[in-house]
Amino acid sequence: MAADIGMPILVVDDYKTMIRIIRNLLKQLGFEDVDEAADGKEALGKLRGKKYGLVISDWNMEPMTGYELLREVRADPSLSRTPFIMVTAESKTENVVAAKKAGVNNYIVKPFNAATLKNKIDSVFTA
Amino acid sequence: MSILENAELENELRKIASYIVTLRREIAVLQANEMHMKKIPAAGQELAAVVNSTEGATNEIMAIAENVLSADASDPAAYKEFVDKEMMALFETCAFQDLTGQRISRVVKTLEHIEARVSRFATYTGVEDDPEYASEQEAVEIARRRELLLHGPSIADDGNTQPMIDKLLATFRNP
Repeated sequence: MAADIGMPILVVDDYKTMIRIIRNLLKQLGFEDVDEAADGKEALGKLRGKKYGLVISDWNMEPMTGYELLREVRADPSLSRTPFIMVTAESKTENVVAAKKAGVNNYIVKPFNAATLKNKIDSVFTA
Repeated sequence: MSILENAELENELRKIASYIVTLRREIAVLQANEMHMKKIPAAGQELAAVVNSTEGATNEIMAIAENVLSADASDPAAYKEFVDKEMMALFETCAFQDLTGQRISRVVKTLEHIEARVSRFATYTGVEDDPEYASEQEAVEIARRRELLLHGPSIADDGNTQPMIDKLLATFRNP
């Protein structure tokens, strides 16, 4: 199953610049319905108010990290099946393993390019 | 107290006095006040300026890219003129790198200055590190970073590349 171009996507990052970069890359890939949140706590509020087809989240944020957001999402029965891609500068093995064990669908290390983002989104929806 | 005990006591006091003199001299050489009042705040200001200028330049570059991507290309001549103008603006924006390079060099010099002074102080006073020491606030932050695996960007070979991460994830799919 290919990714639905019309699905709402939530991008979570505490750097406005990074959100703008991801939003532009998603737009180039055809995804126009993109919302944003500045940390895990704000993202969780948005996720509980609207059904998203995909979450793309940074790891290192205050007050709630992307890792905590992932665990909250997977622990909530109404959100637990939401595809979740981590996009982060955290590239240590223990981070990747912890994210995978917590239920992440894919993991992108910063800096990344449009091809990598497309490839990871595609693989989430074709897995 | 015997004469011998008096002499030993006098000797000890002389050593202590000598150590205090050394300590006072080394504290003065450390220039802790200058570090605290001038050098560290100046380095902080330099880094804040670097963050601001890189953020500003990135936003300008993205705005140029967004303008070009959304431009009307139906008139090739007008479109070329517009793109040429935007590309010149892009080159101009990239000049930020020269300034940020100079600012970061100054911060590196400050760190080297502090390292030299602290290292000399530790050597002359014979002070040993207390590896367990952390302020209450630092201890909370250290515990949080450890629990939530907050390492930040890796340096050189410290972390995994995207292909290495893909390989690692694949081991979960096909154990």
